[in-house]
This record gives sequence, C-alpha cells and structure tokens, in this order.
Amino acid sequence: MRPIEDALVHGSEVARTFGEGAGAVVAVHDAHCAVFSGDHIAVMGTSGSGKSTLLHLLAGLDAPTVGAITWPVIGTRTQLRPGPIGVVFQSPSLMPPLTVLENVTLPLLLMGMERDDAQSQARQALGRLDLEDLAEKLPEELSGGQAQRVAIARILASRPRLILADEPTGQLDLATGSHVIDALVAVATATKAGLVVNTHDPAVAERFPTRWAMADGRLTTPEVCTCSA
Amino acid sequence: MLSVTWTRGLLRRRRSRLVGTTIGVGVAVALLASIGTFLSASKATMATRASRGVSVAWQVEVQAGGDPTAVQHSVASFPGVTTALPVFFARTMAFTATIDGTTQTTGGGYVVGLPASYSTAFADQIRGLVGATEGILLSQQTATNLHAGPGDTMTISAAGLPDATVAVAGIVELTNADSLFQKVGAPANSQPKAPPDNVLIMPDTTWHQLFDPLATSRPELVTTQIHTDYTRPLPPDPSAAYRKVWGDGHNVELKLTGAGLVGNNLAAKLASARSDSLYAQILFLFLGLPGTVLAGLLTTEVAAAGADRRRRDQALLRTRGASTAQLVRLALVEAGLVSVVGGTVGLLGALLIGRLAFRATNFGGTTWTAAVWITASCAVGTAIALASIALPAWRDARQLTVSASRAIVGRAKNPRWQRYGFDAAALIASLIVFWLTSRNGYKLVLAIEGVPTISVNYWAFAAPALLWVAAGLLTWRVANVLLDRGRPLVTRIVRPLSGGLSGTVAASMRRQRRLLARGLTIVALSTAFAASTAVFNATYRQQAEVDAALSNGADVTVVEPPGVTVRPDQAATLGALPGVKGVTALQHRFAYVGNDLQDLHGIDPSTVVRATKLQDAYFVGGTAKQLMARLAAKPDAALVSAETARDFQLALGDALHLRLQDGRTKQFTDVPFTYAGVVKKFPSAPSDSFLVANATYVASKTGSDTVGLFLIDTNHSDTTAIAAQVQAAVGTSAKVNDIASKRRKIGSSLTSVELAGLTRVELGFALLLAAAASGLVLWLGLNERRRTFAIACALGANRRQLAGFVWSESAFVSIGGLALGSISGWAITRMIVKVLTGVFDPPPTTLAIPWSYLGFVVAAAMTATFLAASRATSTASQATIELLRDL
Repeated sequence: MRPIEDALVHGSEVARTFGEGAGAVVAVHDAHCAVFSGDHIAVMGTSGSGKSTLLHLLAGLDAPTVGAITWPVIGTRTQLRPGPIGVVFQSPSLMPPLTVLENVTLPLLLMGMERDDAQSQARQALGRLDLEDLAEKLPEELSGGQAQRVAIARILASRPRLILADEPTGQLDLATGSHVIDALVAVATATKAGLVVNTHDPAVAERFPTRWAMADGRLTTPEVCTCSA
Repeated sequence: MLSVTWTRGLLRRRRSRLVGTTIGVGVAVALLASIGTFLSASKATMATRASRGVSVAWQVEVQAGGDPTAVQHSVASFPGVTTALPVFFARTMAFTATIDGTTQTTGGGYVVGLPASYSTAFADQIRGLVGATEGILLSQQTATNLHAGPGDTMTISAAGLPDATVAVAGIVELTNADSLFQKVGAPANSQPKAPPDNVLIMPDTTWHQLFDPLATSRPELVTTQIHTDYTRPLPPDPSAAYRKVWGDGHNVELKLTGAGLVGNNLAAKLASARSDSLYAQILFLFLGLPGTVLAGLLTTEVAAAGADRRRRDQALLRTRGASTAQLVRLALVEAGLVSVVGGTVGLLGALLIGRLAFRATNFGGTTWTAAVWITASCAVGTAIALASIALPAWRDARQLTVSASRAIVGRAKNPRWQRYGFDAAALIASLIVFWLTSRNGYKLVLAIEGVPTISVNYWAFAAPALLWVAAGLLTWRVANVLLDRGRPLVTRIVRPLSGGLSGTVAASMRRQRRLLARGLTIVALSTAFAASTAVFNATYRQQAEVDAALSNGADVTVVEPPGVTVRPDQAATLGALPGVKGVTALQHRFAYVGNDLQDLHGIDPSTVVRATKLQDAYFVGGTAKQLMARLAAKPDAALVSAETARDFQLALGDALHLRLQDGRTKQFTDVPFTYAGVVKKFPSAPSDSFLVANATYVASKTGSDTVGLFLIDTNHSDTTAIAAQVQAAVGTSAKVNDIASKRRKIGSSLTSVELAGLTRVELGFALLLAAAASGLVLWLGLNERRRTFAIACALGANRRQLAGFVWSESAFVSIGGLALGSISGWAITRMIVKVLTGVFDPPPTTLAIPWSYLGFVVAAAMTATFLAASRATSTASQATIELLRDL
C-alpha cells in the first residue's frame, strides 16, 4: 500500500452529475481511486459507462459534484496544465492552423519556455516517435494514426508526470491503434509518468498491468484499484 | 422528409448561422426597399414642388397679324388653363428724369402694360419696394439709373411718338424678369443674357393711350403676350409632368394656327426637375448600390464563417449516402428559409424606416411602384441567400471529396484574380474611365429643353464601380501579403497582445489568412462605405449652405431701398446687436463697361471675410484670400466677370475704365480701375456679369459712400431671431433676409430632392454595416473555432493566453480594416464628388469631413469588436465539457 501523499491524483467518493431534478444523469458515482508514478492503468467500460467523465475529472478539466479530487504530488488544480498532466483525446486534438512542430511546441510556450528551447525540445519529442518528417505538415495532411502520435509527441515534449488518454485508439484500425499504444507506453515508461488509458477494447486493456472497469458510472473493480483511503 | 428533419436540425443546432445570414439578407432588403421608398416619395412630390415656384405657366406671344383678343380666348378655352391675361410690351428709345436740377437719360427700354387683375392673378411677378404697387412703376435698376423715386416725373421717348410724361408711383422688383423678357420661341442658348436695364410698368389702359399709335406706325416695336396659369396637380413623376406640359404647349400652338407662340415657363422648370429626378436615381446608384452589395458580401461572409462546419455536415451526409442533388436541395431549403424570413424582416424594417425618415406609408407613390420595389428588393435578398448558401454548397458538393470537406484550413493558395493582377487592372481601368469622363466636364444628365427624352451618361458610373472593386481586391491583397510574407512584422505587431506566443499566433494567422483577409476586406469596405456616404452627404450639405449663403449674401442681409442714403457707419450699430459676429457694408452701384450696364459691388476686403464665407470656387486665378489681398493692396483694383475679361482681352494690371454715376452731379463719369482678377460668383451678386471693387475708392471717385446692403454673420445661430432684431434696428424701409428663410425658398439644383431622409437612412445603414462587419463576422468566425480554442484550453492555455489569440486576430481585422477602409473611402469619395460635380452648386473646393459621425462609426466598430472578442475569449476559456467530449 502506497501513501496517498505520493499519489499523482487521488479521488475520494467522487461523483459527477449532469443536469438537475428528474433529468439528472449521474455519470460517475462514488469513485475512489489513486494513480502513482509508473502506474500503467487501463480503464475498461462500454460507451456511456462514465470513463471519459472520470478521465476529465482526474485531469482537472471538470470538477466533481460530490467528493474531492486532489493531486498531492503535483499541486492544485491551476498547476495541472500545461506541464504536469498531459491529455490525449479520442479524436486528434491538434490545432488546425499550426504545423506539427508548432503544435508540439505550443504547450511548452504556454509553460513560458523560450521559443528556441521549446522548438528544440519539440523536435526531440518528434524524433523519439519518428515523426521528424511530419514537422512542417498541417494536421489535416496527416492520417488519424499520425495525428494521434503527434498528440502523444506533444505530451512527451512537455514531460508530464501523469498521462491521461481517452480512447486514443477509438478511431483507428487495429494495427495503427497498436502503434499508438506502443508510443504511449514508451513515453510513459521513458518519463516514469503515470498512465491511464480509457478503452473499450479488451485487446488494448490486455497490454496494461492494471485494469479498472466502469459500468453505469461506477468503478466496479475496486480490487484492482490502488486506493488507500 | 429529409428536408424537414434537416431544417429542424438547423433551427436547433445552427441557430447563430441562420440568424446571421437572415440578418444580412434583411439588411440588404431593407436598404434597397428604403431607397426605393425614398425615390418614390421624392418623385411623387418633385413635380408639384417644382411647379409651385412658377407664377406664369405660359407666355403666349401673339404673332404678327394675330388678334390678341382671339388668341386670349383661344388660350383661355384650352383644357386646364385657369387664367389668361394680356400683357403689352412697347420698346422705347429712352427714359429721362430731371431730379434736383440734374437730368438723367437712360438707353432703350421697355414699357409694360398690365391689366388691373394681373397683380392678383400673378402675385409673385412683381414685388413692391418703395411707394405704391399700382400705377406707374419703375424697376429698381431704372430708378437707380434715373435717380428717380415715387412722386417724380419722367419722360418716355418712343420712335415716332411725341414724348410722354408720367408721374412715378412706386419702385418695384421684377422677380421673374428673365422669363418675363424672354425671347419667346427661341432656344435656351439664344435667349438674352440678362433682362433689360430699363423697365417701366403701367396700367394697360394708360399703355393703350400712349402706345396704340406705335402699334400702328411701328408694329415691330410692340408685342402682346397672354400670360397663362395652368391647372395643377400634374403627374407626380417630373418626366411625365414635363411631357404633359410640353405637349400641351404645342397643342396650344397648333390650336392657334400660327397666331401665337408659347413660352413654356412651366415646362422649363419641370425640365430642371426631371434632371433632378434622374440625379436622384444616380445618387441611388452611387450611394445606395454599394451598400446593398456590401450587405450581400456581409451575408456571404456570415455564411462563409460556418462553411467549414457545413462542409463537415455535408461530408457526414455523403458518407451516409446522400447524393449531390439531395445536398443541393437541403442547401436550397436553407437559402429559401433565410430569404423568406430575411425578406419579411427587411420589408418590415423598410416600412418602418420609410415612415420615420420619409413619412411614406408604403414603398412607392403608387401600387405599381410599391410592387416593383417589393419584388426587386426580395429578388435581391433571395439572390444573396442563394449566392451565400446554395451556391457554395452546390460547388462543394460537386467538387470536394469527403476528406477535403473535412479539411479546416488547407494551404492557402493565392486566388486566381490575385495571380493575374485583376485588382491592379481594375484600378487602372477605373482611372482611365475617370479621365475619359472628366473630359466632358462630368455631365451625367443631359436634359435639353424642348426635347422630351433625357439622356444619362451611365458610362461615368464605371469609374467609381471599378474603384470599389479595386479597393476591395487591393485591400484583400495587402492583408494577404502582410499575413503571408510579413509574418515577422505581424509577430512584432501582435507581441503586445500575445507576448511569448506571438510567433505561434502569427503562424496561426498566416494559415488562416484567407479567412482573416476576407474579414478585414469586409470591414474595410464597410468603413469605406460609411466614410464615402458621410463625406458626400456632408459636402452636399456644405455646398447647399454655400448656395444659400451665396444667394442670401450672408446669414442675415439688410437690403436698403433705392434712393435712401445709408452711411457705412451703420455697420457698427448692427455689429453691437446680440448674436451678431461680424458685419460688412456693401455698396451696390451700376457701372457701364463699354455699353454694357453691370452691377458693381463696392466692398471692404478686410471686413467682408468676417461677415460672409468666400469660397475659392467664386474666383479664377487665385484663392478667395489671395484675391481679397489683391483688392486690399491696390485701392483701384477691380474684379470682373470672366466674360468681361475675355471680351476686353484684359491682362492683370491693365487699366479698366468704367462709367459710374456721380453721387453729386448724378451724371455718369469715367472712373479708372486696374484689372485684378476674375470673379464668378459673389454673395448677393446677380448670376450674370458684375464687378467687385474697393468701396473706399468707389466712394472717393463718386462722392458717395451710400451703402446698398449689409452682410451679417451670426455664426449660424438662430438667424431668424437675429434677423428680427436687425429689422427692428434698421426700420421697416430696409428689407432683412435671413439664410434659413432663403434656404427654404431656393429651388435650384438638387435641393428639390429631399436628401435629408436618404442621408439619415444611408448613414444609419453604413453604421450598422460597419458594426456588423466588425462584430458579427468576427464573432461568428471565432465561434466556429471554439473547438480550436477548446484544444488550447485543454493544453493548459490560461485566459490571458487565449485572449492573445483572439485579440490579435480581432485587432488585425478591425484596426487593419478601419485603416485600409479609410484610405479607400477617401479615394472613392474624391472620385464620387468629382463625377457628381453636376449635383453641387457651386462645386466644392474642399470635402466636408463629418468627424463626429466618422468617430461614431469607429467607436461602433471598435465596440462591436470588443464585444465579439470578449465574448469569444470568455467562451474559449470556459471550454464546455461537450466541446471537450468532441475532442
């Protein structure tokens, strides 16, 4: 059992409800969880089970309606991004008017890094994922797999402590999806970051040593959770 | 079924796009229909207003061998004729008067015999100045020449008749002397340049006693006219009214079978009104059409802001099997919805505007014109909707692949027109056409009196139209080139707004340069439209004011009656009155230039500029200031008309000998002057030849400093009230005129077209378009890119960093658009004012810039930009969960 103080993110009795009254939808219900450095976790669940909401909550993109989420090692919600937490979305989340290199550079610039240093770091990240040739391409000139790998390179460049990926292979074929997962795992391993990947694909989940399952907004496999609370 | 589902979806999910395009169509329809209402309302009253100032509609001159009584009866029985009275003219050799022991004799003149009922039937023909208004009346100029007044006796000398002596009862002004002494039947260019100098009016009974023998012995010296009034109202359209009156005049001549010729004063006035009517249409073309086109462009831009999303929607439909025909049909449904709702909103708006601005209760003078304007406005609205929604959808459906449809930015290739230099070609073509049209003095409307048809030089419209095109394309090119090749410069420019992200922001702007250049061009064209409309209207008002000031002389004028001695020091008394800012005294004399008797104005060059505004256009060979300085520097300097300078082959510094009446001897004596320049117009001076000289010099040479009139400046404050004070100060014998009353009476040029309403409507639309172009287009563009901002937000961009993106783009589009639009607006206005020279009387020497309105336009555009950018920043920094899910 690892102490909560060492957790990258910790959720306690977390719930998220959308809407009010009779039409209210409980997307996440009473979730307890924690992610530590080096953890590689797959969150399994069908569409609408609450995986994405949980991931948004862990990323600090959304706030729970009940319970609390803390980031003991990282700091407060305002210190999460850019930098400590990197998020990969289901569809390629590259900014259309920027080239691949500019997209990878952007979070570094948002962190306040000098332009030349940022570009150098971005090129290194692209190089590690064999994407140097795409540096001057626009997002719309990339395939879906290439775009997801660029999104991963963008995360690599900012060296996050926690990587959260929401169905990163959801729109890709099997082979390309496998390459993307390879890249994610490689990046997380190289940076010793915690990695949480949402997926409904058992083949993808199989590649992760830890697997959480979600159904109807409940984290139903608490026995695999490294919760300590 | 698909159409219904699609429409329902549009109404629920694409509301902002629909509202934006609907507003655009509504604005275009409202603008067009409003201008239509203005044109119809103007035309409906133009003929009536023009004919109102005509006292004697026809002067039917009895021809040799004709029986005046028979002609009178024949004319009186013509349908529509309400009054027909005989007027008798006799040419005389001289008038002589002996006053205070000195005898003055004039040259040849006219004695006019009027029936007793004439002054009642045609009340506007004669205005009493001094003494009685019946009996033996002298015209003002004749009274001055003879130095005669009421109670004096004078002698009339006519060929072959014994001299007749009559007693003067009063002095009068012949208000329509030009038409009264016209050469009936002669074309306009063969008419006398000025009415006769010496005219005496008497009752027809006296006239018959004196001149019936002359009619027998020298019939060529006697003529009879039948002065006729003609029924009103006329057809509302001036051209139709002109054709009717002109045709009726010819019918009368036909009926008289050679016994009489018709001098058609009413037709002459309507001929001028039909020119005004055409000028109103031309103004519509010059000022209204760019606004309508701009509203169309704005709608297209609004629709284009949602084009990427529409393409993605189309791509989704196509992946699910929708055919090109189905896609086009859905776009047509959207266009139809927009044009119906937009058209209805626009027509209701136009109705409201018409009611408020023109007091018009429908879209035209008649049901037919209303139907035409409603149909035309709605057709244009539909065309805009089709061009902005259906056409791009059809083009995309035919040309784009599904993957290309999903593309958002694309590597911008320069458009074909830019590669081939169409913008430069349009500019060069515009300048060439402008130069060609300038060679005929910018005469746009050619209305020849006596010719029912009227021609318009529509070719002249090509120059400003091409300049509009060139301005739009050049603005686009400048913005495009700046964003593309000027990236380092753009990086520096946006640094204050985006800090360390400036390079990325500049890169982002470069990739979106098509979108940004288009937005900037729309803002620039809106600014140019607002600027050109406002400056043109302000210049028109300025020149109308100059026209009124020229006609009245100054804000307030005091005209002293003939024969009354008024000293120049009365100016000091008038200057002390409350509200009076400046006063100058003017001498009014008559001087012989060779055999030609001309008005002479003796002025004080140092004070005249304080009492009235002298325009540079009044003078030739120097500015107003320079010519006044020349007069001040040389006491005997004189300014003459261009005609006099030409006839006498005068060069600057030449000696000029005039004959002026001596105040002591009453005899005309030779006074030497030095030719110092040409004067074309001068406040209160007649429209024909006249002279301007130094009052002190004239007084010293003639022994009289009697003042003819005072010009008073009130700084445009309540002239009517100040005129009343002045009247009280000078007494009832002097006539006091104020500019406000004169402005109402002037019927020359386009003042018969009520431009105030059009001005209000156009300035309102220009403001709306400028604000919409800056705010709406920007906001829709930014709104369509919410996803991009959501990505930046998810990456950790804080509010300030997001604002850097939004504000950099907003500032580029708004400030760049306003700056380039100002330059275009300046160029377009200069060209329009030049091309429409015929509208102005006198032509302007400088443009009037309405700074407050233009400041308001800039403020409205900047406020709209601020609101759009603030809203976009706020939305972007609160990226919703729905948007994040889309990622």
